[in-house]
Amino acid sequence: MRSQGFKKSKTNTNRRKKRKDNVREQNQCRFCRSKTKYVDYKDLEVLSKLLTHRGKIFSRKRSGNCAGCQRKVQLAIKRARFIGLLPFTS
Amino acid sequence: METVKRLYEAMILVDSGEAAADWEGINEHIKKIFDRGEAEILSMRKWDDRPLAYEIEGKKRGTYILVYFNSPSGSISAIERDMQLSERIVRIIILRGDHITKEDMEKDTPVMMVDKQVQAQVQAKADAQAEAKAQAKLQAEKDGIGQIDIDEIEEENEETDTEIQED
Repeated sequence: MRSQGFKKSKTNTNRRKKRKDNVREQNQCRFCRSKTKYVDYKDLEVLSKLLTHRGKIFSRKRSGNCAGCQRKVQLAIKRARFIGLLPFTS
Repeated sequence: METVKRLYEAMILVDSGEAAADWEGINEHIKKIFDRGEAEILSMRKWDDRPLAYEIEGKKRGTYILVYFNSPSGSISAIERDMQLSERIVRIIILRGDHITKEDMEKDTPVMMVDKQVQAQVQAKADAQAEAKAQAKLQAEKDGIGQIDIDEIEEENEETDTEIQED
């Protein structure tokens, strides 16, 4: 009995390890990974991915952006809203 | 004291109806304002014509004009004010463009991308027709039937051509 229990725990740890290897968290935000220095307000493909369907900006937690990139995104979205490319709300 | 000339990027929103009716006139109008501010225009082109995300001054569609220009930093506020006072311009945004390279300036605008797609489709259609024609010709030569079949194919092609034009 004792040995069986030991075996079981070993396989469990292995599985846990495997899962960790497969689903490794991204350690950089999407803009840092592509080394973007400037988020363009005309680039609607990128910006619209960072908005809810009501037009609100996704939180950092949701978008996975670092603080600096979130600020750049925020500025770009606000510029796009002003010029009528993106909605303030919908 | 001489002020430094810097590169700026301006996005100008105009009414799409007016832009379609008098494109040259609006361009002239914008150029005049930039000239008054001693700005040197590097490139000026239509960026896109699209429905606005929300109504501005009762307008639902707008034409965007993207301008890159060099200007003394002191005259930016004057240019912006003139644009805002102009009745033909709905909205304007002027940004410093220190990070902008020549490649960025020559990048395809959304309008150009759509045009290119349409052109590519037409080209693909024409190529397919030409290929079909060539194959039919070869087949006809092999069969030894001769002229009649080729004439028929040409007629068919003309029909499809007219269809494309109608589209």
